[in-house]
Amino acid sequence: MDSLATPLEVVARPQLDLELRGIRKRYGDFTAVDDVSLQVAKGQFVCLLGPSGCGKTTTLRCVAGLEEPDDGGILIGGKEVTKDPPWQRDIAMMFQDFALFPHMTVARQVGFGLEMLKKPKAEIARRVQEVLKAFEISPLADRKPGSLSGGQRQRVALARAMITEPRILLLDEPIGALDYSLRETVMLELKMLQQRTGISFIWVTHDQNEAFSLGDLVVVMNHAKIEQQGTAEEILQRPATAFVAGFVQGNNVFHGRITGTSPDALQVETSAGRFYLPRPVRCTPMLGDAVSFSVRAERITDSLSDRHANRLSARCTAVEYFGSVRRHIFERPDGQVLKYDQFGAYAARIAPGQTVQLGWLVEETVLHTGAVA
Amino acid sequence: MTGGPKIGWKGRSSLTAWILGTLTVIFLAYQWLPILTLGLLSFSGPTGGTTFPMNGTSFHWYQELWRASVMNDFKPPLMRSVLLALACSATTVVLSVAAAQAMRGQFRGSGWFFYLMLLGIMAPGILVGFGFAILMRLIGVELSWDTTTFLVQVSWTLPFGFLTMLAVFNRFDKRVEEAALTLGASRLKTFRRITLPLVLPGVIGAGLFGFSLSYDEYARSMFTTGPDATLPLAVMAQLDRQLTPEIYAVGTTTTIFSLIAVMLCTVAFWAMRRSTALRKS
Amino acid sequence: MSTIRVRSPASYWLAVPAAVWMLGVVVVPIVLLVWVSFWGGRTFSPASPLTFDNYARFFANQTYIKLAGTTVLHTMTLMAVTGVLGYCIAYFLVMKVKSPAWRLALFLAFIIPFWTSTLIRAIAWVPFLGVNGVINQLLMSIGATRSPIEAFLYSHTGITMAQVSLYTMMAAGPVVYMLSSIAPQLREAAMTLKATPFTVFRRITFPLTLPGVVIGQVLVFLNVMSDFATVATIGGNKHALLSNLVLLFYESSQIRAASVVAVLLMICMLVGVVIALRVVDVRRLGAER
Repeated sequence: MDSLATPLEVVARPQLDLELRGIRKRYGDFTAVDDVSLQVAKGQFVCLLGPSGCGKTTTLRCVAGLEEPDDGGILIGGKEVTKDPPWQRDIAMMFQDFALFPHMTVARQVGFGLEMLKKPKAEIARRVQEVLKAFEISPLADRKPGSLSGGQRQRVALARAMITEPRILLLDEPIGALDYSLRETVMLELKMLQQRTGISFIWVTHDQNEAFSLGDLVVVMNHAKIEQQGTAEEILQRPATAFVAGFVQGNNVFHGRITGTSPDALQVETSAGRFYLPRPVRCTPMLGDAVSFSVRAERITDSLSDRHANRLSARCTAVEYFGSVRRHIFERPDGQVLKYDQFGAYAARIAPGQTVQLGWLVEETVLHTGAVA
Repeated sequence: MTGGPKIGWKGRSSLTAWILGTLTVIFLAYQWLPILTLGLLSFSGPTGGTTFPMNGTSFHWYQELWRASVMNDFKPPLMRSVLLALACSATTVVLSVAAAQAMRGQFRGSGWFFYLMLLGIMAPGILVGFGFAILMRLIGVELSWDTTTFLVQVSWTLPFGFLTMLAVFNRFDKRVEEAALTLGASRLKTFRRITLPLVLPGVIGAGLFGFSLSYDEYARSMFTTGPDATLPLAVMAQLDRQLTPEIYAVGTTTTIFSLIAVMLCTVAFWAMRRSTALRKS
Repeated sequence: MSTIRVRSPASYWLAVPAAVWMLGVVVVPIVLLVWVSFWGGRTFSPASPLTFDNYARFFANQTYIKLAGTTVLHTMTLMAVTGVLGYCIAYFLVMKVKSPAWRLALFLAFIIPFWTSTLIRAIAWVPFLGVNGVINQLLMSIGATRSPIEAFLYSHTGITMAQVSLYTMMAAGPVVYMLSSIAPQLREAAMTLKATPFTVFRRITFPLTLPGVVIGQVLVFLNVMSDFATVATIGGNKHALLSNLVLLFYESSQIRAASVVAVLLMICMLVGVVIALRVVDVRRLGAER
């Protein structure tokens, strides 16, 4: 965070496609974006992930220039653009429902960006031809958006955004409007397109499957702030906050107080019992601190050995079978709900109504160390 | 970067807003000033003319209006206009509900029917009124405010009521009807007990259109009213004879009268909407 | 399923009263007008022989032809003024007024006069325009002119001024509707494709509101062409347009001459409407390119 203290121009880093420095945006009393900082390297695929209303779309709109942050700086390709209007920024954007111009044919629509750049007519025609071909929508050239299917619209919107070869492509829930069956294919295509062109993608979504399978960098947001950013692996395995742990599928979250410390472990007292956690390297928790921690559902086991220092008993309330995984839902009298995933096609061992002893290893337990930027 | 904070592009676009806003306010004044002046001048003193100065303020011209002589008595025309407007309003409601319900039935020729109604809005009053007057003359029907004028005015108010009802039925959730029908109610009973109460705000809107359009109509009445004039005709006749603040008093009175009517209906409309909304929830 | 069966006799019979009413009171009289305009002979009866004499007499009179020209010119002027003014106001109301309370207040301020009598609103202009009228008093008090200007009451200027206030909202209404149905993302998308605000207006907003503009223009056109009341109120008997001529002939019992003018008026209107529909089509063709 020391970069905030120095003037923006001095430390501009041209190797970054995008840099956000502590941007804030308020609407009256409501804070939509609060101190969001982010660095996007050249050609990176970034996913902004979070529940609706968390500020991810507003952040994206600030990058596009459609909103002006109250505070903080935005740099695109190392150049300060905070106050620049959208039409002077080296970006393109794909909107949630594609925002195709209803009165223009596909060809006209796709060539719009080049027209705005005052390219010669012949060049525009040639480029439009090429791009339509590349996106396999040449036959639609003379059609209007009203007569296109969802998948076709998506291609047109993408072609329209990509034709000017921007430095960054901003995508606001780009596949949310598509049929479920189309999404997988489109996701794969977009990922390949991004890798081929080397254009940075900033992809806003509330769907964690999208974010984790696409993003080189996943940024989890909640209540206008960044909760955690990192690779999919980092976020899934080491959630930094109780929110991230709860938002990401498959975590069991506990809240409690530190009741004992040793050089390599912490002892935490919760309503569900006493648990042991590995002591974190980076921070020094104090005795009596309120903390939260989590353990992934697939790390829990019902075949306990001496090594399973963390234990609790719970009553099974439901069992769901998904083919490759069998998920058990447990509930305890103190209200703690627990998920336990069993992989592989084993026969069911636990039935609803049964009370079972469950446990996991100390090193499988993740202490939430707070928002890590 | 040069010194001073840069102004964002949204700040720059508010310049357009200021220009357009000023224009809008000026136009509002332009539209309202004559009406307000009319109202103000109607309170001018007994020696006041048709323009400023007012020579004092008084209710003189309103008293004049009330004590009117036979020549320029506005009370009978007012009565006729109100009765006519009520009749047009009622007829419009019945016919437009029936016609809109018919459109839902997509009968053969409903497309043509729609254009026929649209024609009623597009065709200028002067042509319709004049043509109808000739027709009556050829058939040999006496022109009168309560027969011929009524017939012509409904042809003007009906299309507006019809379009209102069409819009209402378009947004109407017909699953409610289906539910009633599956519960064993007959079509007629369902319409009376379910459909009609739900579209009542629209029905009131149609009636309001009927009243207001008929009450203010001049061109159509002009040709089709016999010796007994409606209010707009009486006002115009008085304007031809002599311009006094009395005209302003009439204008102010009827403007306030129609505003009250509009407001009452709007309030009824909201009340109705709220009660149906409550019923829905 | 609903309370009316599709294509049922009931649906047909429900429409009959309204249809008969409209046919009898609107369609038949207008057809009759055309017929009457061709009647020759001396007696006013359906037995009259058909002739072009009535039209010949009209077109032989220079005054009438000039009047027709004036009417068209006057109408075009009003369309231009109300069109531009109406668009600016509509644009401000929809795009620039952000607070819902203000929007409602402005909307009411515009719509309330619309609910009052057009005739009264036209009369309201009389005290403004006269030689001793408000405008002249104002001009003289600020010293813009020493003697009153007679150009307002009983003049085209005065008629135009009053009609602008009467019909601008008619031009603005459909534009308001079209503007508010444009998704904001469309303009934003154009901006991210490097279009400046002016280009966004020229290439996106305006083309999308064009149908509204055309409908508004048609409304103004039809109303101004047939508005004899305002012309009579403010123009006195010194100024007349085609529609006043209908009334003039009618009052002097020259029914056939009145029919001729009425038919010509009707033809003008039809031509106007057809041209307007063409414009909308041309737009569509233009975008198809």
